Amino acid sequence: MIEVRFHEEFYDGFAIDEAVKLYAPYANFTLKREAGGFIVQVEGKPEDQGGADPSLVAAELMNYALGKTIERSRAAESAASETASAAPETASASPGEAA
Amino acid sequence: MDYGVSGTLAVHTADEEVSMSDITTVLGEGTVTVEFDESFYPKDAIYGAAYVFIDRCYVHLDRAGDKRVRVTLRAKSGKPADGEALAGELQNELLGQAWRLSIAAENRQLIESITSRALGGAAGPPGLDELLAMDIDEATAFDDPLGIAMSWEEKYKKKGAADEGADAPKADASASSDAAEPNAAGEKSS
Repeated sequence: MIEVRFHEEFYDGFAIDEAVKLYAPYANFTLKREAGGFIVQVEGKPEDQGGADPSLVAAELMNYALGKTIERSRAAESAASETASAAPETASASPGEAA
Repeated sequence: MDYGVSGTLAVHTADEEVSMSDITTVLGEGTVTVEFDESFYPKDAIYGAAYVFIDRCYVHLDRAGDKRVRVTLRAKSGKPADGEALAGELQNELLGQAWRLSIAAENRQLIESITSRALGGAAGPPGLDELLAMDIDEATAFDDPLGIAMSWEEKYKKKGAADEGADAPKADASASSDAAEPNAAGEKSS
Protein backbone atom coordinates (compact mmCIF):
# COMPACT_ATOMS: atom_id res chain seq x y z
CA MET A 1 0.00 0.00 0.00
CA ILE A 2 1.16 3.50 -0.81
CA GLU A 3 0.16 6.50 1.27
CA VAL A 4 0.33 9.98 -0.19
CA ARG A 5 -0.02 13.03 2.02
CA PHE A 6 -1.38 16.27 0.62
CA HIS A 7 -0.87 19.37 2.73
CA GLU A 8 -4.08 21.36 3.02
CA GLU A 9 -2.28 24.65 2.37
CA PHE A 10 -1.19 23.48 -1.08
CA TYR A 11 -3.91 21.08 -2.18
CA ASP A 12 -7.62 21.60 -2.62
CA GLY A 13 -9.83 18.86 -1.17
CA PHE A 14 -12.15 18.95 -4.17
CA ALA A 15 -9.20 18.52 -6.53
CA ILE A 16 -8.06 15.45 -4.60
CA ASP A 17 -11.58 14.01 -4.71
CA GLU A 18 -11.70 14.56 -8.45
CA ALA A 19 -8.30 12.93 -8.93
CA VAL A 20 -9.37 9.89 -6.91
CA LYS A 21 -12.54 9.53 -9.00
CA LEU A 22 -10.52 9.81 -12.20
CA TYR A 23 -8.01 7.12 -11.21
CA ALA A 24 -10.51 4.82 -9.45
CA PRO A 25 -10.53 2.32 -12.36
CA TYR A 26 -6.78 1.69 -11.94
CA ALA A 27 -6.41 1.24 -8.16
CA ASN A 28 -8.31 1.16 -4.88
CA PHE A 29 -8.22 4.35 -2.86
CA THR A 30 -8.94 5.21 0.75
CA LEU A 31 -9.25 8.87 1.71
CA LYS A 32 -8.56 10.17 5.19
CA ARG A 33 -8.64 13.64 6.64
CA GLU A 34 -5.92 14.49 9.14
CA ALA A 35 -4.99 17.67 10.92
CA GLY A 36 -3.13 19.74 8.33
CA GLY A 37 -3.79 17.57 5.32
CA PHE A 38 -5.42 14.82 3.35
CA ILE A 39 -4.17 11.25 3.20
CA VAL A 40 -4.81 9.04 0.19
CA GLN A 41 -3.98 5.35 0.46
CA VAL A 42 -3.44 3.60 -2.84
CA GLU A 43 -3.75 -0.15 -3.18
CA GLY A 44 -3.16 -2.09 -6.36
CA LYS A 45 -5.93 -3.78 -8.28
CA PRO A 46 -5.54 -7.05 -10.19
CA GLU A 47 -4.54 -6.44 -13.80
CA ASP A 48 -7.59 -8.30 -15.12
CA GLN A 49 -9.73 -5.67 -13.35
CA GLY A 50 -7.87 -2.85 -15.08
CA GLY A 51 -5.33 -2.36 -12.30
CA ALA A 52 -2.03 -0.56 -12.90
CA ASP A 53 1.23 -0.10 -11.01
CA PRO A 54 0.13 1.57 -7.75
CA SER A 55 3.26 3.74 -7.54
CA LEU A 56 2.56 5.08 -11.03
CA VAL A 57 -1.11 5.63 -10.21
CA ALA A 58 -0.15 7.43 -6.98
CA ALA A 59 2.31 9.68 -8.84
CA GLU A 60 -0.19 10.49 -11.60
CA LEU A 61 -2.90 11.16 -9.02
CA MET A 62 -0.54 13.52 -7.22
CA ASN A 63 0.12 15.49 -10.40
CA TYR A 64 -3.54 15.61 -11.35
CA ALA A 65 -4.49 16.85 -7.87
CA LEU A 66 -1.84 19.57 -8.03
CA GLY A 67 -2.84 20.66 -11.54
CA LYS A 68 -6.49 20.78 -10.60
CA THR A 69 -5.70 22.71 -7.42
CA ILE A 70 -3.75 25.32 -9.41
CA GLU A 71 -6.53 25.63 -12.00
CA ARG A 72 -9.16 26.04 -9.29
CA SER A 73 -7.00 28.58 -7.48
CA ARG A 74 -6.59 30.63 -10.67
CA ALA A 75 -10.27 30.39 -11.52
CA ALA A 76 -11.19 31.62 -8.05
CA GLU A 77 -8.66 34.44 -8.33
CA SER A 78 -9.96 35.65 -11.70
CA ALA A 79 -13.56 35.46 -10.45
CA ALA A 80 -12.58 37.58 -7.43
CA SER A 81 -10.85 40.19 -9.61
CA GLU A 82 -13.88 40.34 -11.95
CA THR A 83 -16.12 40.94 -8.95
CA ALA A 84 -13.79 43.65 -7.67
CA SER A 85 -13.69 45.43 -11.05
CA ALA A 86 -17.49 45.16 -11.44
CA ALA A 87 -18.14 46.67 -8.00
CA PRO A 88 -17.19 50.31 -8.87
CA GLU A 89 -19.41 50.19 -11.98
CA THR A 90 -22.35 49.14 -9.83
CA ALA A 91 -21.57 51.90 -7.36
CA SER A 92 -21.36 54.55 -10.11
CA ALA A 93 -24.50 53.26 -11.81
CA SER A 94 -26.69 53.43 -8.72
CA PRO A 95 -26.74 57.27 -8.37
CA GLY A 96 -27.79 57.58 -12.01
CA GLU A 97 -30.51 55.04 -11.52
CA ALA A 98 -31.71 56.90 -8.45
CA ALA A 99 -31.73 60.16 -10.43
CA MET B 1 11.56 8.72 -3.54
CA ASP B 2 9.74 10.71 -0.92
CA TYR B 3 6.64 12.72 -1.67
CA GLY B 4 5.65 13.07 1.95
CA VAL B 5 4.78 9.44 1.35
CA SER B 6 5.19 6.52 3.65
CA GLY B 7 5.24 2.89 2.52
CA THR B 8 6.93 1.24 -0.41
CA LEU B 9 7.16 4.51 -2.34
CA ALA B 10 9.39 6.19 0.23
CA VAL B 11 13.04 5.52 -0.69
CA HIS B 12 14.64 8.81 0.22
CA THR B 13 18.41 8.80 0.03
CA ALA B 14 20.15 12.12 0.09
CA ASP B 15 23.29 11.89 -2.03
CA GLU B 16 24.21 15.49 -1.92
CA GLU B 17 22.99 18.55 -0.15
CA VAL B 18 23.63 22.00 -1.58
CA SER B 19 22.62 25.11 0.29
CA MET B 20 22.41 28.50 -1.38
CA SER B 21 21.33 31.14 1.09
CA ASP B 22 17.91 29.91 2.17
CA ILE B 23 17.41 27.41 -0.66
CA THR B 24 18.27 23.81 0.09
CA THR B 25 18.53 21.23 -2.66
CA VAL B 26 18.62 17.51 -1.94
CA LEU B 27 19.42 15.17 -4.80
CA GLY B 28 18.00 11.71 -4.22
CA GLU B 29 17.60 8.55 -6.32
CA GLY B 30 15.71 9.86 -9.31
CA THR B 31 14.29 12.73 -7.32
CA VAL B 32 15.29 16.23 -6.40
CA THR B 33 13.92 18.08 -3.41
CA VAL B 34 14.14 21.85 -3.14
CA GLU B 35 13.31 23.64 0.09
CA PHE B 36 13.00 27.38 0.33
CA ASP B 37 11.56 30.19 2.39
CA GLU B 38 8.03 31.02 1.26
CA SER B 39 8.42 34.68 2.27
CA PHE B 40 10.53 35.16 -0.90
CA TYR B 41 8.13 33.38 -3.20
CA PRO B 42 4.37 33.91 -3.00
CA LYS B 43 2.14 30.86 -3.18
CA ASP B 44 1.01 31.75 -6.71
CA ALA B 45 4.64 31.82 -7.84
CA ILE B 46 5.20 28.37 -6.31
CA TYR B 47 2.09 27.09 -8.09
CA GLY B 48 3.21 28.67 -11.36
CA ALA B 49 6.67 27.10 -11.14
CA ALA B 50 5.24 23.70 -10.20
CA TYR B 51 2.81 23.87 -13.12
CA VAL B 52 5.68 24.36 -15.57
CA PHE B 53 7.19 21.00 -14.52
CA ILE B 54 3.95 19.04 -14.38
CA ASP B 55 4.23 17.71 -17.93
CA ARG B 56 7.68 16.16 -17.52
CA CYS B 57 7.93 15.51 -13.75
CA TYR B 58 5.84 14.21 -10.91
CA VAL B 59 5.60 17.20 -8.59
CA HIS B 60 4.73 17.22 -4.91
CA LEU B 61 4.39 20.25 -2.65
CA ASP B 62 4.67 20.06 1.11
CA ARG B 63 5.50 22.15 4.08
CA ALA B 64 9.01 21.58 5.38
CA GLY B 65 8.69 23.62 8.52
CA ASP B 66 7.71 27.07 9.67
CA LYS B 67 7.44 29.24 6.54
CA ARG B 68 9.42 26.71 4.50
CA VAL B 69 8.13 24.89 1.46
CA ARG B 70 9.38 21.63 -0.01
CA VAL B 71 9.01 20.85 -3.70
CA THR B 72 9.84 17.31 -4.82
CA LEU B 73 10.38 16.53 -8.49
CA ARG B 74 10.75 13.13 -10.16
CA ALA B 75 11.25 12.85 -13.90
CA LYS B 76 8.47 10.98 -15.72
CA SER B 77 10.61 9.44 -18.39
CA GLY B 78 12.07 6.80 -16.09
CA LYS B 79 15.58 7.77 -17.16
CA PRO B 80 17.90 9.09 -14.44
CA ALA B 81 17.19 12.79 -14.51
CA ASP B 82 19.78 15.50 -14.09
CA GLY B 83 18.70 16.53 -10.61
CA GLU B 84 20.91 19.58 -10.43
CA ALA B 85 19.55 20.88 -13.73
CA LEU B 86 15.98 20.30 -12.56
CA ALA B 87 16.67 22.08 -9.28
CA GLY B 88 18.25 25.00 -11.10
CA GLU B 89 15.35 25.23 -13.51
CA LEU B 90 12.89 25.17 -10.64
CA GLN B 91 14.71 27.96 -8.83
CA ASN B 92 14.82 30.06 -12.01
CA GLU B 93 11.16 29.42 -12.62
CA LEU B 94 10.31 30.41 -9.04
CA LEU B 95 12.17 33.68 -9.46
CA GLY B 96 10.58 34.33 -12.86
CA GLN B 97 7.08 33.64 -11.60
CA ALA B 98 7.57 35.83 -8.53
CA TRP B 99 8.87 38.67 -10.70
CA ARG B 100 5.98 38.27 -13.16
CA LEU B 101 3.47 38.47 -10.31
CA SER B 102 5.17 41.59 -8.99
CA ILE B 103 5.00 43.28 -12.42
CA ALA B 104 1.36 42.27 -12.85
CA ALA B 105 0.51 43.75 -9.45
CA GLU B 106 2.32 47.00 -10.26
CA ASN B 107 0.57 47.39 -13.62
CA ARG B 108 -2.85 46.13 -12.60
CA GLN B 109 -4.34 49.63 -12.36
CA LEU B 110 -2.97 50.63 -15.77
CA ILE B 111 -4.20 47.42 -17.41
CA GLU B 112 -7.67 47.86 -15.91
CA SER B 113 -7.78 51.49 -17.04
CA ILE B 114 -6.81 50.60 -20.63
CA THR B 115 -9.25 47.71 -20.72
CA SER B 116 -12.14 49.80 -19.43
CA ARG B 117 -11.36 52.55 -21.98
CA ALA B 118 -11.25 50.00 -24.78
CA LEU B 119 -14.56 48.53 -23.68
CA GLY B 120 -16.04 52.02 -23.35
CA GLY B 121 -14.93 52.85 -26.90
CA ALA B 122 -16.35 49.60 -28.22
CA ALA B 123 -19.72 50.51 -26.78
CA GLY B 124 -20.13 53.08 -29.63
CA PRO B 125 -21.54 56.61 -29.67
CA PRO B 126 -24.13 57.68 -27.07
CA GLY B 127 -27.75 56.89 -27.83
CA LEU B 128 -30.66 59.37 -28.10
CA ASP B 129 -31.70 58.85 -24.49
CA GLU B 130 -28.15 59.52 -23.31
CA LEU B 131 -27.93 62.65 -25.48
CA LEU B 132 -31.24 63.91 -24.13
CA ALA B 133 -30.08 63.23 -20.60
CA MET B 134 -26.97 65.39 -21.14
CA ASP B 135 -27.10 68.82 -19.52
CA ILE B 136 -26.19 71.10 -22.46
CA ASP B 137 -26.90 74.85 -22.35
CA GLU B 138 -25.19 78.09 -23.48
CA ALA B 139 -22.50 77.77 -20.88
CA THR B 140 -21.70 74.10 -21.48
CA ALA B 141 -22.17 74.02 -25.26
CA PHE B 142 -19.03 73.48 -27.29
CA ASP B 143 -17.19 76.36 -28.96
CA ASP B 144 -17.44 76.70 -32.75
CA PRO B 145 -14.39 78.74 -33.80
CA LEU B 146 -14.55 77.51 -37.44
CA GLY B 147 -18.24 78.25 -37.77
CA ILE B 148 -19.10 74.64 -38.58
CA ALA B 149 -22.47 74.87 -36.87
CA MET B 150 -23.42 78.03 -38.87
CA SER B 151 -25.56 77.85 -42.01
CA TRP B 152 -23.95 78.66 -45.40
CA GLU B 153 -26.10 81.74 -45.90
CA GLU B 154 -25.36 82.99 -42.44
CA LYS B 155 -21.66 82.51 -42.98
CA TYR B 156 -21.26 83.82 -46.57
CA LYS B 157 -24.26 86.13 -47.32
CA LYS B 158 -22.82 89.29 -45.86
CA LYS B 159 -19.40 88.58 -47.27
CA GLY B 160 -20.92 88.08 -50.76
CA ALA B 161 -22.96 91.27 -50.47
CA ALA B 162 -19.86 93.15 -49.39
CA ASP B 163 -17.95 91.74 -52.38
CA GLU B 164 -20.73 92.82 -54.76
CA GLY B 165 -20.67 96.31 -53.24
CA ALA B 166 -16.90 96.42 -53.62
CA ASP B 167 -17.06 95.26 -57.27
CA ALA B 168 -19.65 97.88 -58.29
CA PRO B 169 -17.47 100.99 -57.83
CA LYS B 170 -14.65 99.24 -59.73
CA ALA B 171 -16.99 98.60 -62.65
CA ASP B 172 -18.12 102.19 -62.59
CA ALA B 173 -14.55 103.36 -62.53
CA SER B 174 -13.56 101.12 -65.46
CA ALA B 175 -16.60 102.24 -67.40
CA SER B 176 -15.70 105.86 -66.87
CA SER B 177 -12.10 105.22 -67.81
CA ASP B 178 -13.24 103.34 -70.94
CA ALA B 179 -15.47 106.25 -71.80
CA ALA B 180 -12.65 108.66 -71.34
CA GLU B 181 -10.15 106.68 -73.37
CA PRO B 182 -11.99 106.99 -76.75
CA ASN B 183 -12.22 110.62 -76.17
CA ALA B 184 -8.58 110.76 -75.54
CA ALA B 185 -7.95 108.59 -78.54
CA GLY B 186 -10.29 110.69 -80.53
CA GLU B 187 -8.54 113.74 -79.37
CA LYS B 188 -5.25 112.16 -80.31
CA SER B 189 -6.52 110.95 -83.68
CA SER B 190 -8.23 114.15 -84.42
